[in-house]
Amino acid sequence: MATVRDRLLQEVNPGKAVEASAKVTIVGVGQVGMACATSILQSNVADCVVLIDVMKDKLKGEVMDLQHGSLFLKTARIVAAKDYSETANSKLCIITAGVRQKEGESRLALVQRNVDVFKHIIPDLAKYSPDAIILVVSNPETPCANQKSRNTVTPVELSGADGTISPPPVTVAVDILTYVAWKLSGFPSHRVIGSGTNLDSARFRFLMGEKLRINPSSVHGYIVGEHGDSSVPVWSGANVAGVSLQSVNPELETDEDTEGWKGIHKQVVDSAYEVIRLKGYTSWAIGLSVANLAHSILKNLRTVNPISTLVKDIHGIKEDVFLSLPCILGSSGVCGVMKQPLKATETKLLQHSADTLWNVQKDLKL
Amino acid sequence: MATVHEKLITAVAGAAAEGPRNKVTIVGVGQVGMACAVSILLRELADEMALVDVMEDKLKGEMMDLLHGSLFLKTPKIVADKDYAVTANSRIVVVTAGVRQQEGESRLNLVQRNVNIFKHIIPQIVKYSPNCILIVVSNPVDILTYVTWKLSGLPKHRVIGSGCNLDSARFRYLMAEKLGIHASSFQGWILGEHGDSSVPVWSGANVAVVNLQKLNPDIGTDKDQENWKDTHKMVVDSAYEVIRLKGYTNWAIGLSVADLTESLVKNLSRIHPVSTMVKFKVSPSLSVGLQGMYGINDEVYLSLPCILNNTGVNSVVNMTLTDEEVAKLKKSAETLWGIQKDLKDL
Repeated sequence: MATVRDRLLQEVNPGKAVEASAKVTIVGVGQVGMACATSILQSNVADCVVLIDVMKDKLKGEVMDLQHGSLFLKTARIVAAKDYSETANSKLCIITAGVRQKEGESRLALVQRNVDVFKHIIPDLAKYSPDAIILVVSNPETPCANQKSRNTVTPVELSGADGTISPPPVTVAVDILTYVAWKLSGFPSHRVIGSGTNLDSARFRFLMGEKLRINPSSVHGYIVGEHGDSSVPVWSGANVAGVSLQSVNPELETDEDTEGWKGIHKQVVDSAYEVIRLKGYTSWAIGLSVANLAHSILKNLRTVNPISTLVKDIHGIKEDVFLSLPCILGSSGVCGVMKQPLKATETKLLQHSADTLWNVQKDLKL
Repeated sequence: MATVHEKLITAVAGAAAEGPRNKVTIVGVGQVGMACAVSILLRELADEMALVDVMEDKLKGEMMDLLHGSLFLKTPKIVADKDYAVTANSRIVVVTAGVRQQEGESRLNLVQRNVNIFKHIIPQIVKYSPNCILIVVSNPVDILTYVTWKLSGLPKHRVIGSGCNLDSARFRYLMAEKLGIHASSFQGWILGEHGDSSVPVWSGANVAVVNLQKLNPDIGTDKDQENWKDTHKMVVDSAYEVIRLKGYTNWAIGLSVADLTESLVKNLSRIHPVSTMVKFKVSPSLSVGLQGMYGINDEVYLSLPCILNNTGVNSVVNMTLTDEEVAKLKKSAETLWGIQKDLKDL
């Protein structure tokens, strides 16, 4: 007997639809992965979003929850991948997976454990999507044990959670993991990027915008280099409508400045720790910033973004390390790197970061 | 000495900042509240957003996390406080606060606990935004929308429950998947009580105005060989299933609330299945005589197809229902009233 569908429709071209042309894979369905997913879905840049994770129930639940919102979305397929074969032919693969520091674990040990996680992810992604761009977001951090708040969701606790100030948490810079992804994938370096200081710069522009009471999109400034404590705010470039802030206030980046502009960089560095302390993790801002990068890549916009790229032979750096610089980003990945004039002090900071990163990277078993 | 701001900018005299025109407040920054917040921000529906909760650190953290994404958003002001003064002059207030059912807890007990919470929330909201439209999301949504209406003193067209908006969205997605089309091209409504006793209006289900029941008169019944009825069951089970798998649901409800907000803020007069008071005045000129839709005479909120514009629920569509469907609505109304009549301190 004919089904409802048979009676409802006259097939014109039955069979499988053509392969998705703007497929995005997101690895990891934690808070960051899901924030990336929801931002990308609601920005309508992808025609297929694949999520993959080792936690099968969580993955299935998250994808079901997104699919139930299909009426309100314009992304034709949302998939919970059973294995990496379902990620095939992605244009963009976003990595948010990673492991956090165990009690007393050294930085090298933490990085190595993350390398081991990436070994299960990157080669398969590369195999099934050999032309994709890989965007590494993973930046496993430990929440700050300082002044643990009374009413947040319990984050991972460091030793010394009795209120005493612990040593600064060990972070695995996204820059190191981007290097790892590059090595494990075998991809040309222009197709492997890290979210790097993209979010730092967004926070920087937001904070400067607040101070000037101007929308962040009209305040320009870059934070470059190593994501985290050693990032470099390029004060010489900070401007509104082409008017350099430093030309208006030559003391802008010094301690003598009475308006406290220098403090803004510190606020940016502390931002992540602060949000983690208050709510247990960060998600929305990084999700929005990743969707912004995805937009540029999928639509071949050639926007300039501060993202982590291979900086060997730039700014006097000799090692194979990834640091954030303003890059032109399009559908083929990093199309160019801006030759940003830096002060000697700023260049030295970048070179120092490069040395630090290489010192960790050289001992990794890849 | 002149600041950077002063040297950079020539102030234009008399350019005082205006108040917000489309301020949206979200009460409760749990998973549902934040999913609503993010969806509303991504759709650029609000020119100001306020978040309220009792958990101060969590609240501040969520606000900061959203603010850090300001470069990518078009909502210039995002504020948060446990004091409701921060919500003043909101157009729309979304209520997601409340406690969850404990194991073995009766619905009545859950409702009473949530009534006690709403007693603190609702009067504060109305005090600071007397002209707002309230969207209640917290469960059991139909009862809590009634509670909100009672506690707020607002006219009923300005108190809406998210109701079956999500159920219908899930229904349309699941039915459309089976037919190989997009959810927006499948027309189908789930009405009545949100949850286990919701009513799928099979008589109205159609694609390109081709009525599915005409193609298959058994659709939605136990006799149906294709077992289309199962799709409604999947809708009812959806929430439990997602909760079982990931602990809670948030993305879909967030998207559906943003969809409602869009109709209200943009004065679209779109029709949504949302929870509304089924009893209303017969005509404005008569000051006596309340009539209930479908012969329901209890003051209950149930989901019906409502035309939403910037005043709230402008009208309700008189959906043609079968006797069986009307009977189910009446039964829901009885169940809801059975619980509502025993609520204290409304």
